[in-house]
Amino acid sequence: MKRNIFLFALGFVVIAAVPFFVTGFWVRLITSIFMFAVLASALNIIAGYTGYAAFGNMIFFGIGAYTVAVLMHKTNMPFPLAFVAAGVIAVILAILLGLLLLRLKGHYFALGSLGAMEATRQIVEIWTDLTGGGQGLSVRSLKGSPFFVNTFFYFAMFFMLIIVVFTVSRLHKNRLGYAFKAIRADEEAAGVMGIDTTRFKIIAWSISGLFTGLTGALYAYWFSYIDPPTVFDVMWVVKMFVIILIGGIGTVMGPVVGAVLLETVSELVWSRFINLHLGILGLIIILAVLFMPKGILSVKWKGIASLWTKKERN
Amino acid sequence: MSDVILQGTGVSKSYGALKAVSDIDFSVKKGEILGIIGPNGAGKTTFLSLISGTVPLTKGEIFFKGEKISGLKPFRIAERGISRTFQIVKPFPGMSVLENVSIGALFGKDKIHDAKEAREKTRSILAKVHLEGKDDHRVENLNISERKRLEVARALAMDPELILLDEVMAGLNTSEVDSIMELILDLNKQGRTILVIEHVMKAIMGVSHRVMVLHHGEKIAEGSPEEITSDERVISAYLGERFAKMRGNKNA
Amino acid sequence: MILQAIINGVLFGSVYAMIGIGFSLVWGVLNIVNLAHGSFIMIGAYLSFTLFSVFHVDPFLSIPIVMAVLFVVAYGIQRYVFNRVVRGPSLITLTFSFGLQILIANACLLLWSADYRSIKLPYSASGIEIGGLVIPQVRFGIFGVAILITVLFYLFMKKTRTGRAINATALNYEGAKTVGVDVDKIYAMTFAVSAALAGAAGALISPIMSINPFIGGSLVGKAFVIAILGGLGSTVGALVGGITLSLVETVGTVILPSSVQDLLGFVVLILVLVLRPQGLLGKRFY
Repeated sequence: MKRNIFLFALGFVVIAAVPFFVTGFWVRLITSIFMFAVLASALNIIAGYTGYAAFGNMIFFGIGAYTVAVLMHKTNMPFPLAFVAAGVIAVILAILLGLLLLRLKGHYFALGSLGAMEATRQIVEIWTDLTGGGQGLSVRSLKGSPFFVNTFFYFAMFFMLIIVVFTVSRLHKNRLGYAFKAIRADEEAAGVMGIDTTRFKIIAWSISGLFTGLTGALYAYWFSYIDPPTVFDVMWVVKMFVIILIGGIGTVMGPVVGAVLLETVSELVWSRFINLHLGILGLIIILAVLFMPKGILSVKWKGIASLWTKKERN
Repeated sequence: MSDVILQGTGVSKSYGALKAVSDIDFSVKKGEILGIIGPNGAGKTTFLSLISGTVPLTKGEIFFKGEKISGLKPFRIAERGISRTFQIVKPFPGMSVLENVSIGALFGKDKIHDAKEAREKTRSILAKVHLEGKDDHRVENLNISERKRLEVARALAMDPELILLDEVMAGLNTSEVDSIMELILDLNKQGRTILVIEHVMKAIMGVSHRVMVLHHGEKIAEGSPEEITSDERVISAYLGERFAKMRGNKNA
Repeated sequence: MILQAIINGVLFGSVYAMIGIGFSLVWGVLNIVNLAHGSFIMIGAYLSFTLFSVFHVDPFLSIPIVMAVLFVVAYGIQRYVFNRVVRGPSLITLTFSFGLQILIANACLLLWSADYRSIKLPYSASGIEIGGLVIPQVRFGIFGVAILITVLFYLFMKKTRTGRAINATALNYEGAKTVGVDVDKIYAMTFAVSAALAGAAGALISPIMSINPFIGGSLVGKAFVIAILGGLGSTVGALVGGITLSLVETVGTVILPSSVQDLLGFVVLILVLVLRPQGLLGKRFY
């Protein structure tokens, strides 16, 4: 335990120091790694732990982004308030959507949720008065020097990540997490043991949606401009699934490790081989699924892995 | 000991034209051990599923302690103090033996809120099913006998008044069967009512106060173990009419 | 106008039916929602296009070639690659087939560039006139061939040994194995047949639709809707589902503003999923 705390503290200090030593490009890159780690972790809660592969999870990202964008654009609301509003709306959406779709199983749920996301995207595109439609919406950006802005979002995403990882690590050992895992293992058996599966599934999706939505809200403020295809993008969900697969389904640090790996590779590939980008991503996906269904942590890297898995085994 | 704890009237389940369970009336006294036997496909498991709520009734009603439970969701029925095991055991992978068992305490009748507290409370149950020392083992590593016992332990952690056991002895050797029989009697001594589906005759006849026989979804006989074994209809169901007739003639 | 739309809808629905059948076959037998199904259609279309532009082969005649190519390729993919994850959870199979889809899309991008390709047939302008309505010959031909292939498929499933083995495997995997069915081969056959059907569909649409490397996504979306509407495992269902979707699209273009069309599609999808997931016809399996 003590060694873990020391390592985490060290890591924290190192990460916090980074923006002061590298260029803006790297700060932004690491910020997006944090972002993907958060999104993947959030998805992991409903997909990895509870067993419901929400292919449309970006619906919350998009709603969060648009809540912030619309509120700040139309009403001059300060960001912190809009941020909270985005969270509230995301949770409400998760509950409503959950009541509708969580009764579906397997593929039906996966694609039903995707359908819901696409439908929402369509609505956003049609409702031009409110959302700017296909033209997108711009958001009042944070005032300050580039260094300030980069660093602000760097730490914002970093704190989101810490909170999400903390939440997931609690789920490993607490009542809520047990319910999720039981549901994933066997819903029928979970039911006869007294688990209100509907309620817990909705809770799982709400937590996932909350974090995803808040991240979308941050994203809108960060990029100052959003449009439907970007924030309701199914490719992002697939990336998140790949991250989870590479890192390890239903583990705490898996999504983080996966995000680091995938984003780094992605960045390297994208800058050199733009017209092979899709193909290489496709290949990575296929290889990841074939050779690492339990995640990279279970494959070979016993040395590094034992640091993480120790935490999960007690 | 004489009040009825579980009662059903006209209990039926049909899948389209197929009548899995057909118009069964039954009642179980508190503290009783009721054995349920019948050839394969007789509807025994479906019958249990109707009681535990995992399968909805097509017709009829079921009452537990005087209150109607048919139509309730499984978790509500579980909360009232009814737990069941599954014929094909369903341990929750990714969690240890102790965690699996503690789920019963967390979500059953008592609804303990703290996971750690639940784990402590249920440690002693592991001893009851001879799984002590295996607290932290992954359930994936257990053998069939241990899994069956885990199944019972999980049900037990819910502190149930009524336990439904579905072929809990299938696949076990003689000493393991004896062990489970002992456990059943022990649980009964604690005041719990038990319904046991079994094919292992020795076990059923050894523990049951009464036995109910199902065939093609219908109740064809009910009575003490001795009455059942000499009932012609029962013998006919298991071994065919001719044999029953033969045996009947022999006794005549 | 509407009547014309209805006729077009019904005619084109036969192609949609083919798309739906293949997709739903793989879903029902292997329990895989093959997101790369649209890519197979696209490959069929591109092959047809190439055969036409380079060798002047009429798209209708290219069908057997296209089907054969896709059959072989898909058989290989399933038998040696996909088979390893086939019985896994949704998360894994969906992600895998998605990866396959974008891999194929990129390959097509490299081979045929991002330009829109289309086939201009010498007889595409001529049509049959019936009481003021015009049915282009091509569409009629497409309808005919699609129906023919669908009927052949139906017979294949019901009458041939392989077809019945596929059925058996879908209904009872363990049972089929005990009876001696080589399940791996059956899985590969099923996937291959599905791809062949998709390829044929691609060849059939090549004369009337323009092709680019990214149509795979929307095509598989349609396949999904058709499979859901028609119910998994029913040839007749796929026909009904295909024609229904096609009608909704063609008639929808006439009476609704284009922006609402797509939305309508998704709303219908969700309604069907929630209210009647077994599809309009609601049969259990083939």
